[in-house]
Amino acid sequence: MASDRVLTVSRAMAEAIGQEMRADPNVFVMGEDIGAYGGIFAATQGLLEEFGEERVRDTPISETAFIGAGVGAAMSGMRPIVELMFVDFFGVCMDAIYNMAAKNIYFSGGNFKVPMVLMTATGGGYSDAGQHSQTLHATFAHIPGLKVVAPSNAYDAKGLMISAIRDDSPVLYMFHKGLQGLVWMASPEGAAAVVPEDSYTIPFGQAKIVRPGKDVTIVTLSMMVHRALEAAEMLAKEGIDAEVIDLRTLVPLDRQTVLQSVAKTGRLVVVDEDYQSYGVTAEIIASVAETDPTMLKAAPRRVAYPDIPIPYSRPMEQFALPNAGKVADAVRETLDLKKAA
Amino acid sequence: MPDGLWDTAEIPEGVVANWFYADGGEVPKGATVAEITVEKTSYDIEAPEGGRLKIVVPKDGVVLPGTVIGKIGDG
Repeated sequence: MASDRVLTVSRAMAEAIGQEMRADPNVFVMGEDIGAYGGIFAATQGLLEEFGEERVRDTPISETAFIGAGVGAAMSGMRPIVELMFVDFFGVCMDAIYNMAAKNIYFSGGNFKVPMVLMTATGGGYSDAGQHSQTLHATFAHIPGLKVVAPSNAYDAKGLMISAIRDDSPVLYMFHKGLQGLVWMASPEGAAAVVPEDSYTIPFGQAKIVRPGKDVTIVTLSMMVHRALEAAEMLAKEGIDAEVIDLRTLVPLDRQTVLQSVAKTGRLVVVDEDYQSYGVTAEIIASVAETDPTMLKAAPRRVAYPDIPIPYSRPMEQFALPNAGKVADAVRETLDLKKAA
Repeated sequence: MPDGLWDTAEIPEGVVANWFYADGGEVPKGATVAEITVEKTSYDIEAPEGGRLKIVVPKDGVVLPGTVIGKIGDG
């Protein structure tokens, strides 16, 4: 049935998982507080009641064990969705992620598949300190063998989740806490979106132009899509017409959409909430420079997290986070205009 | 919103956290139409009937158990 129902990101994720669990008995969910509690960022709300403890499995605080178990289950024919509560906790279970999940398809000569979704909460902005606020996009996008997605809104969240569950490779599904639509954490307008009741997929490797424009290309993902759109609105008042591209997936990466946009605008600003150095911002700029540096009419700019651990203090964290004002300033620099006071 | 949804002697008021349909949109009977938050606990509000939604209390509006937060029907 078609309707204009608006879902939050967390509800879109839970709906996607529930629909795939109904369609395929091999799909199950596992993680800390994902059962009775419904996931601390509500991505599994209501699933325990419908599917029971066999298929919605609360685990101990033991990421090394249960993510390893997820890899084994995936290689044995199941389709596990495993939640790593905060991406920041990857340290204790990285062996299961990058040496097992990411490599076992290759190591087995393609004889085994690893159809596991590792979903994990990213992002800061709510004073949860340096080990609960990172995005770490590049840490995972850097590793061959993992697909990496990071939706900015509820429509993409549902379609990318269903694609992730059906994919035969391990998929890291990075959802931003501040986009979830939780009652205790404000989310930007536009994170919640009209979401069809029916099942649908969004193919990996297709970026989306969320705001067409002719003067400058802003490439970003996840929460920063909303900051970039805010910046574009500020710039529109100055007569600057920014195009905003939501990458949606980091691996595979839709370089083509970026290149076509930069060929049109000649100016590039890349925005990421992850640390600046060795990151997504550099990868996007390198993609343009390697293809045709003469497309650029000005030096490209990046707006990302400074190379420091994330502060707990609210004023300090807000000072360090990328925001619309910083994005707008970077755009003005590419146009040789003065920064706002 | 149901009477007695929470104990107002303990917690005086709640807030409309989310509307899942736009004002004027069509809502099917039984759909989760809104979410109420009370001291970080949230309650889903089901549509008792299908029809066109008229939002009475917008997102972030303050509510009590028994408050009419919206009307559904063709009227």
